[in-house]
Amino acid sequence: MPHEVRMPQLGMVQDSGVIVAWLKSNGDPVTAGDPIFEVETDKATMEVEAAADGYLSGVKAAEGDDVPVGHLIAMIVGSEGEVEEASTGASAPEPAAAPVVETVQRREPAPERQEALAPAERAMPEPVAAGRVLASPKARRLATERGIDLHLLRAQGIAEPIHVADLDAAIAVGGHSTLSAVVDPTAFDEILDRSRTADRTRLLASFAAGAWRATLDASSASVAIRGLDGSLEIVANPDRGGAGEQECPVLTLVDLCGSRINGYVPAGGGPTLCVARGAAGYDLSLAFVESRLALPCAAALLEDIAARIENPLLQLL
Amino acid sequence: MTREITLSQAVNEAIAEEMRRDETVLLIGEDVAEAGTPFKVLSGLVEEFGTERVIDTPISEPGFMGIAVGAAMTGSRPIVDLMFGDFLYLVMDQLCNQAAKTHYMSGGKLNVPLVLRTNLGATRRSAAQHSQSLHALVAHIPGLKLAMPSSAYEAKGLLKAAVRDDNPVVIFEDKLMYQDKAPVPEEEYLIPLGEAAILREGSEVTLIGTSSMRQVCEEAAEILERDGIGADVVDPRTLVPLDEGTILGSVRKTSRAIVVDEGHQNFGVTAEIAARISEKAFYHLDAPVIRMGAMDVPVPFSPALEDLTVPTAEGVAANARAIVRGVPVHAP
Repeated sequence: MPHEVRMPQLGMVQDSGVIVAWLKSNGDPVTAGDPIFEVETDKATMEVEAAADGYLSGVKAAEGDDVPVGHLIAMIVGSEGEVEEASTGASAPEPAAAPVVETVQRREPAPERQEALAPAERAMPEPVAAGRVLASPKARRLATERGIDLHLLRAQGIAEPIHVADLDAAIAVGGHSTLSAVVDPTAFDEILDRSRTADRTRLLASFAAGAWRATLDASSASVAIRGLDGSLEIVANPDRGGAGEQECPVLTLVDLCGSRINGYVPAGGGPTLCVARGAAGYDLSLAFVESRLALPCAAALLEDIAARIENPLLQLL
Repeated sequence: MTREITLSQAVNEAIAEEMRRDETVLLIGEDVAEAGTPFKVLSGLVEEFGTERVIDTPISEPGFMGIAVGAAMTGSRPIVDLMFGDFLYLVMDQLCNQAAKTHYMSGGKLNVPLVLRTNLGATRRSAAQHSQSLHALVAHIPGLKLAMPSSAYEAKGLLKAAVRDDNPVVIFEDKLMYQDKAPVPEEEYLIPLGEAAILREGSEVTLIGTSSMRQVCEEAAEILERDGIGADVVDPRTLVPLDEGTILGSVRKTSRAIVVDEGHQNFGVTAEIAARISEKAFYHLDAPVIRMGAMDVPVPFSPALEDLTVPTAEGVAANARAIVRGVPVHAP
């Protein structure tokens, strides 16, 4: 019978562990008690042993991955024929079905939003081409901040070394991608009904800025509010009451709730969030260019915005 | 009120004003009194202050430098005139082992408030032993301050500040600039040691130029402006202390820097400034920091060859254009 290998809880307040090294490779025979990988927690590096005899199969995490406690990392299967290929990289490890490791003291379950990691820690898309991409230090820093994979730029034919201007030029090369979500409107509508002063568009801008700040670890988050009448208003840090310097907007918001139109994808420009009112609730769609905002970052961002609309209290946390 | 005066006149005024203000200030060196130095900078001083305070010495650099260090330790504020920067080698012990270390080794009991005025600069057809720019030797020694005036205005303000400083300060004037005029206030002013000047603002590249290389950078900025490239021009004015804040602030804005100095490029002033930028503004750099110093050869006597050894405005502009356009100056 296949045996699951999950990230063990090695400390009382440990949320996750970094896989420092695999001591066995996918497909290797293992005997119960063999060290199979090394895991680093906030306190120490420890070897994790196989709990059963068999073959290591379906390895889901690579060296360097930070894996939440209890998440499935691999299987130990009974025969060589059952060995599945390793699938490390973009796909996130499967969440734990049930707590696997007994602990004396359980930490309060972390809120859903804890999945929003800083951009650098988030899983990057599978590199398009291996090897180090030559880039200026500033271009590299900005790419990390924006969650851009420099390999994608190289794949688009941008000459190395990549400079800051290339990050901006990349938008002209790659088309937009779109993510959409439907959100339960109950809590958000209740706020709008009860308050005489709340402005839907402003509130959405504020949620979007809050989500941007939380998921992309940014210090400033100005939002451009685009109207179907062609109007454009830039609001500096709407989640902080407009405080701070008005910098280049990180996101464009198009509030379509007052019209029958339910989508708008701009021809150019940065990430654009459209909010429309559909039958099931608010329809959110996020248009973005993957070379400027990586898919995992965009997904985390939209997830966070949706969560805030569904549960506006999150905005206060 | 300002008027245009030459760098020579500015230095002369600075010395005269300080000698009038403080009777402990004296002037010592070869040909400082009767001849007024080969560059005629000191004309008229001996007539006003007499031979007790404007002291002609024999050709004996180690001797008069030693006398000046001793005088500074015992209450005088000597201004030493070293006729050519190349003669620095002759006064190294007095300057680096004595003047630079006395305050430290006496536990703070003794100061050496001494100013060593000398010069740098090639392209005067003076050959390899009278054309060097050796200020990096001074910058390397803890305990010495180093000023690099880039015009008559800086020459006067920095020299007056140096005379009032309680530490040994070395000032290198560019010998090609003695007859260059610049607006200088008639009123008294000082330029604090350790404050850089931003002479021109642009957003795409920072050109840092010391001494006469500031003019080279300003000229390069003019050329670049015609190409639609905006350059910040920063003159550090003193290399010790160095106003890092101004330099780093500019580079953080422009993301690119070229450091230009007339000393030899190897292990030189350009290397030090470039290294500090790379260390402290690394994540703001969109191009490698470029050093442009004098060629690492003895300065040739042949005019055609000599002119090739120092950075030019066209050369600075060409490098700036390359890094702004993302063309690697050195193969990646």
